[in-house]
Amino acid sequence: MGLYSYLLISIIIFTIGVYGIITQRSGIKILMCIELLLNSANLNLVAFSSYNGNSTGQVFALFSIAIAAAEAAIGFAILVALFRLRDTINLDNINILRW
Amino acid sequence: MFSDYAALIVLLPVIAFVLTLFLGKKLYSGGALLPIAAIAGSFIISLGIFFEIYPGGMVQQSIPWFGNGISQMNMGILIDPLAIVMLMMVSFVSLLIHIYAVGYMSHDPAKPRYFAETSLFTAAMLSVILSDNILQFFISWEVVGLCSFLLIGFWYHKPSAAAAAKKAFLVTRIGDVLFLAGIVMLYVNLVEIINNPANAFKIEPGNFLLQFKTMFEAIPLIDKTQLTYITLLFFGGAVGKSGQFPLHGWLPDAMEGPTTVSALIHAATMVTAGVYLVARTFPMFFATPATIMTGVPDSLLIVAIFGGFTALFAATMGLVMNDIKRVLAYSTVSQLGYMMLALGTAGAVVGAQAVGISLFHLVSHAFFKALLFLCAGSVIHAVGTNDIREMGGLFNKMKITATTMLIAALALAGIGIPFINIGTAGFFSKDMIIEKSFEFGEKTGGWGWIFYGFAILAALLTSIYIFRLWFMAFTGKPRSERHSHESPNVMTVPLMILALFALFFGFSQTGFYGYLEKNFELMGVEIAVHEEAAQLPVIIILLPVIVGVLGFLISYAIYYKRMIDMSKIISSENPLYKLLLNRYYEPKIGADLIGVKLTHDVVAQSGEFVDRKIIDGLVIDSIIGNTIFKIGEIIRKLQTGVVQNYASITILGVALLLVLLKLKLGGV
Repeated sequence: MGLYSYLLISIIIFTIGVYGIITQRSGIKILMCIELLLNSANLNLVAFSSYNGNSTGQVFALFSIAIAAAEAAIGFAILVALFRLRDTINLDNINILRW
Repeated sequence: MFSDYAALIVLLPVIAFVLTLFLGKKLYSGGALLPIAAIAGSFIISLGIFFEIYPGGMVQQSIPWFGNGISQMNMGILIDPLAIVMLMMVSFVSLLIHIYAVGYMSHDPAKPRYFAETSLFTAAMLSVILSDNILQFFISWEVVGLCSFLLIGFWYHKPSAAAAAKKAFLVTRIGDVLFLAGIVMLYVNLVEIINNPANAFKIEPGNFLLQFKTMFEAIPLIDKTQLTYITLLFFGGAVGKSGQFPLHGWLPDAMEGPTTVSALIHAATMVTAGVYLVARTFPMFFATPATIMTGVPDSLLIVAIFGGFTALFAATMGLVMNDIKRVLAYSTVSQLGYMMLALGTAGAVVGAQAVGISLFHLVSHAFFKALLFLCAGSVIHAVGTNDIREMGGLFNKMKITATTMLIAALALAGIGIPFINIGTAGFFSKDMIIEKSFEFGEKTGGWGWIFYGFAILAALLTSIYIFRLWFMAFTGKPRSERHSHESPNVMTVPLMILALFALFFGFSQTGFYGYLEKNFELMGVEIAVHEEAAQLPVIIILLPVIVGVLGFLISYAIYYKRMIDMSKIISSENPLYKLLLNRYYEPKIGADLIGVKLTHDVVAQSGEFVDRKIIDGLVIDSIIGNTIFKIGEIIRKLQTGVVQNYASITILGVALLLVLLKLKLGGV
């Protein structure tokens, strides 16, 4: 498996993520899709890092994972709070700031 | 050794200001001890520097501040004889007044604010004095004005105090704008001179553009007409700050502040800053061409006209005021007029010595006028009113206050014995000014005599109003049922110290003149000094004292012996009395006519009409406003509020960017 196989997988995961974000209406699903985007990027980082023989990319991937964890925690906390308030996490129904 | 710490003269009170403001509530008497200690420190350093540099030294320290090239500005210290005399006077008087204020303000709940503000004021005033460049001078000058504003409005819950503070701020602002315009004009001229290779004028390393030194060196190169304009603009600033006609109206109103503030700011120190400015830039005033009157530089002539007129003009109003502090305020305006007169007339007659003559009166005035105000404060503290008609018979109850005030009144009236030269401070300082205006008249002839007329008439009126005040307050029968008592020691001791100075300061006259005369030589400026003492007729030497005694006798006859029934004269029927009591309708002209009618009704209202009806109404509302509103109506539909739409658009945008990037860069 060369670099291209990793990049291919990464592209596939990324596309799934984007597709999910655009089509899904559930907040949880969207958050999960965002995780997919981040992880595809992480995969790219690691792949290039290994290909170039330079560990900087892997370090960045670690950072990225840590941030993703924080982001997920905050995101889900928001969704829990939202659910308590509005009894829904369907983003179509959350639009009171619209005109 | 003290010279190395010159910056502390300003910094100590600044530190005291910050500490008192924040910690004052927890300390003794609202933190009064901090400013007192700081100002005592400033005084000691000033005194130390004086002994170090006397008789012919200077302290110069300077650091670059901002800008570069020729227009680099600096902050610095210049302590020459002129400055050290002022430094000692200001820090000493300020120290005494702070001590006095511990007693005077003892019942006030806002003591920390009071002491913080007076401390900041003292710092700024000292900074005005020791500035070595006109820019720093101006900045400190503004801070001083700010403190004056804050302290006049110290009892801001009183509407009259708030109004007086505003008036003081606005009226002095007129002068400040003129002063700033003068600085700008000077700057432009200096830059032009330096950039002109024909002049071969350059700033030595370590010197800066707006330093007094550079200014004085450049005097011969500045266009003469320009120089007249610059100095007159400077004088405009001095007119505002020193309450000269026509900007005198704020000073009597400023008496709304605490009496200690009036003594410190509006008698002894801040109002003399204008005189100090003219004295500081005296070589420039001196170098202006003489076009109006032969042998008299134009700017000095105008200084003399304004000063002489103010001296008489303010004294007439002092005659009829019933508020004890207002009498003193008009007296201050009048005496400041004398100082200006001295700079103008004596400047034309004896050159650089004029600065000494004017400053000598400034310092002796600071002593006796601060004393008068503090005595008035002591009386007000005891009686609880400002109105001298309600006082009377206080002599037996307040012996120290009455005696010290009598000394101050004698000093103000210039009582002394000519020929053997024994007398109060005012006798030496004021009589010299009157004599110099006589010499001025002799020198110029014609209408030059008018200055002597101003000076001698004002001296007579001065004597009348100050003894009227004293007799009405301390003699006769009490005119109201008020419990009065002598003030505590913390208030009477400063009175006694100041009284000593009011009595004996005059004897330093010769040394004082000699010391200040060299001031501009030290700065490298040559000003011709006419040494030959003019032989004055005996009557001229006697006349100032005669009018002083005459004024005393008139007041004695009217207000003590009651030989003349004043009720006929003091009535609303008498047009002259009405004119004086209404202060020549200056508040009406200033506030109602210029302030309300002209500025508000005409200028501001028409401005509002243009702004509201034309610019806002026609242009903005109908054309620009409506168009933008309609566009907004359309565009806001784009905001669907659905996250997916935003995400899709973002992704599309990124994809588009990638495609464009690919097209631009080429390749696979």
